[in-house]
Amino acid sequence: MRRWLAVARTPVGAASAVLLLLLAGLALFAPLLWGEQAGAIDTDALQQGSSAAHPLGTDALGRDILHRVLVATRLTIGLALLATVVGVGTGVVLGALPAVLPRWAGRVVTAAVNIAVAFPGLLLALFFAVVFGTGTTGAVLAIAFALAPSFARLTQTLTASVSGRSYIAAARVSGVGRFRVLVRHVLPNVAEPLVINATLAAGSALTAFAGLSFLGIGVQAPSYDWGRLLGEGLNRIYVSPAPALGPAVAVVVAGLAFNLFGEAAAAVLGHRPPPVRRGRPAPAPSTVDDVADEGVLTVRNLRVSFPGPDGWVTPVRGVSFAVREAEVVGVVGESGSGKSLTALAVSRLVEHPGVVTADRLEFLGKPVEGTPDRELGTSLAMVFQDPMTSFNPTRRIGSQLAEVSEQHQGMSRKDAWQRAADRLESVRVPGQRAKQYPHEFSGGMRQRAMIAMGLMGDPRLVIADEPTTALDVTVQREVLRLLGRIRDERSTAVLLISHDISVVQRTCDRVLVMYAGRIVEELPTAELFTAARHPYTTALLAAVPTLETDRDQPLAVIPGRPPEPAEVVAGCPFAPRCPLADDRCRAEEPVLTAVEAGHRVSCWRVEEQQRSALAESAGSRGGTT
Amino acid sequence: MSELRFESVSVHYGHRRTGHLAVDDVSLTVPSGKVVGLVGESGSGKSTLASTAVGLVDATSGTISLDGVDVRRLRRRDRGLQMVFQDPYSSLDPRMSIGESIAEAMPRGTDRRAEVARLLELVHLDPDRATALPARLSGGQRQRVALARALAGRPEVVIADEITSALDVSVQGAVLNLVRDLQRRLGLSMLFISHDLAVVRYVSDRIAVMRGGRIVEEGEADQVLARPRHDYTRELLEAY
Repeated sequence: MRRWLAVARTPVGAASAVLLLLLAGLALFAPLLWGEQAGAIDTDALQQGSSAAHPLGTDALGRDILHRVLVATRLTIGLALLATVVGVGTGVVLGALPAVLPRWAGRVVTAAVNIAVAFPGLLLALFFAVVFGTGTTGAVLAIAFALAPSFARLTQTLTASVSGRSYIAAARVSGVGRFRVLVRHVLPNVAEPLVINATLAAGSALTAFAGLSFLGIGVQAPSYDWGRLLGEGLNRIYVSPAPALGPAVAVVVAGLAFNLFGEAAAAVLGHRPPPVRRGRPAPAPSTVDDVADEGVLTVRNLRVSFPGPDGWVTPVRGVSFAVREAEVVGVVGESGSGKSLTALAVSRLVEHPGVVTADRLEFLGKPVEGTPDRELGTSLAMVFQDPMTSFNPTRRIGSQLAEVSEQHQGMSRKDAWQRAADRLESVRVPGQRAKQYPHEFSGGMRQRAMIAMGLMGDPRLVIADEPTTALDVTVQREVLRLLGRIRDERSTAVLLISHDISVVQRTCDRVLVMYAGRIVEELPTAELFTAARHPYTTALLAAVPTLETDRDQPLAVIPGRPPEPAEVVAGCPFAPRCPLADDRCRAEEPVLTAVEAGHRVSCWRVEEQQRSALAESAGSRGGTT
Repeated sequence: MSELRFESVSVHYGHRRTGHLAVDDVSLTVPSGKVVGLVGESGSGKSTLASTAVGLVDATSGTISLDGVDVRRLRRRDRGLQMVFQDPYSSLDPRMSIGESIAEAMPRGTDRRAEVARLLELVHLDPDRATALPARLSGGQRQRVALARALAGRPEVVIADEITSALDVSVQGAVLNLVRDLQRRLGLSMLFISHDLAVVRYVSDRIAVMRGGRIVEEGEADQVLARPRHDYTRELLEAY
């Protein structure tokens, strides 16, 4: 309900809702208020044009047309709605039947609907009008049955998409009958698009009905609707246009009101993005005290913000790190930690309306912001998670690889193809497979081809975002080894993003642990299991089951859940889940501080320990001398 | 107590000759009160096998029996066989409160309100949340609700199909602990499917390894892990 109110708050939604209310008011009250005037015959004023007494003129019996148009609202709208209800109802039943009927009967219904959909609606309406005979009932049924096939099709499509969800499977496994599944699980979940489309259909039912009445096969005298009034007025439109224009305008306005409301509802309920707020997110002071040193990639105080319903949301909040030449750096974190957004921001792939800010964001010593596409395209390579969707399925692998060199390095098609075959060889894909299409490659091979695509230029940095997550464990290894080999052979730097600590541990020299949009710890991989200090890092390491985990003990867990980007409050974001948290942790956010060379931690408690350890060693040293 | 037994089950998708053989002559027994872990990579037929047991997919040949009775002869509600699905975000009806979702699977004549409260408590969720919609719950919490729903049908055998693979590591542990605890307390027989060998090892008494629609190795968990006989099992173990 609240979402429908949101529809009425958009400009188009509000305007059309007001119009609809106006029409509803007219439909209810006009016959009561003006019913008498609309029927009053005045033999002194036959067939008059527009005048002060009769703004829209009078008809053949001297009745006032304005009043007749207003009074006809009830019949016109009522019949249109009736036809819509009957049509949508029939359509939904037809569309839902295949889900309940035995398979063969379902096929028959589907086939019938498919055939009916092929005919234009108005043609069907005319056909049914002839079958049912002229008159109001006939017209209602004609328009209803003309609407039904498209609704049946829509219901079928929506039902099919919902039926694939596992809650339907779960209900079936629990022994819930087909009919109950349909009524309780399927229909409520497809209702919204159906209602939106029904609103749109009401608009077209209204115009179609006016059309039938205009042609004389709809409402019959003495009843009258806008279509009939239009038909009567049209006969003398060249003499006096007002009697025809009045009902015409009414039809157009009412039709528009229904259609616009449907469109507005579709826009709001269909989750189209809300209009972007003006302005930019508030700049944040740099919270990093140490200097992330120079490298192939230098990032300082990187922030990524998105406009949300209640102001800017910042899923990446001040990230600083560097990647040096020939170094493999891993970024680990759970979903929502900001690791993938960091990678996207570095490669300039954060899309509008996202805003990226940084004190420094430099690649090969130059700001990423100003680097031309061509340069970025050849010196920075990106490997994504899903090898199924990162290639165009309609083009050969080789030509997709060659395109990189044609575009960015200005190579001829032949040279580029040669290079593509060569690069494929270098990731152990036989060169002749360049002629094949993506679907002829296995998942692991496709991911290797993706890496080969990155190697078409001469990349100084490869950013791999969950490159092995969609792959099986046995295939994972070869992809990771390949990344390692590229580093060894070409001294390319690699930034590897993964949720899986074991992947990072196997491949990387250095690890960045992210939590709630921040780096909470940075340390050499070799020390990950021995010297990790941040409570989140140690908890995460303990929570991963391995082949050595004691099966008689419960697994270590981290209570609670990570904060959503919009919920980040003052203090350390991990404090609510941290066994060591004290008042300071809850009040003040810690800063990423070096505890040793190459090891930075963002934790007050670690800092305290560090300080007391230093004091102790200083004290003991003082004691011995 | 119940024993779930697959006997030479094959599942064919599509045409008999040109189609795809997803499960190829699989025989597997889940002994009463034990957990059998089924590992294998994507496309190896693990999930198809599970779907066959609960009747979401029809076996082309072979039989599946529960304590010696062909499951196809039993009505779904009386089968005592339930399944928990992989994706916590699509396994609960977004328009139904979690209490309603759980109550749906209950046998007729149960005191639904009390039973929902009991089950929510069993999976460590606050019974007052019975009226909440799934959208208000995190992935781990949803997966607990899915477990509660499976238990509402008073099953003796539960099939868990990759129930933690969509969860973050920090949440996965809690769900695995819960699964193990419930299995032991209720004496459930369980077929636990996962691509993650470490996870399977943690919960299972026996382990079966599936590849290309066939079970290539099956045995006591310790034995399979310590002395793998099939090359593929060795390869899997090496990946860790």
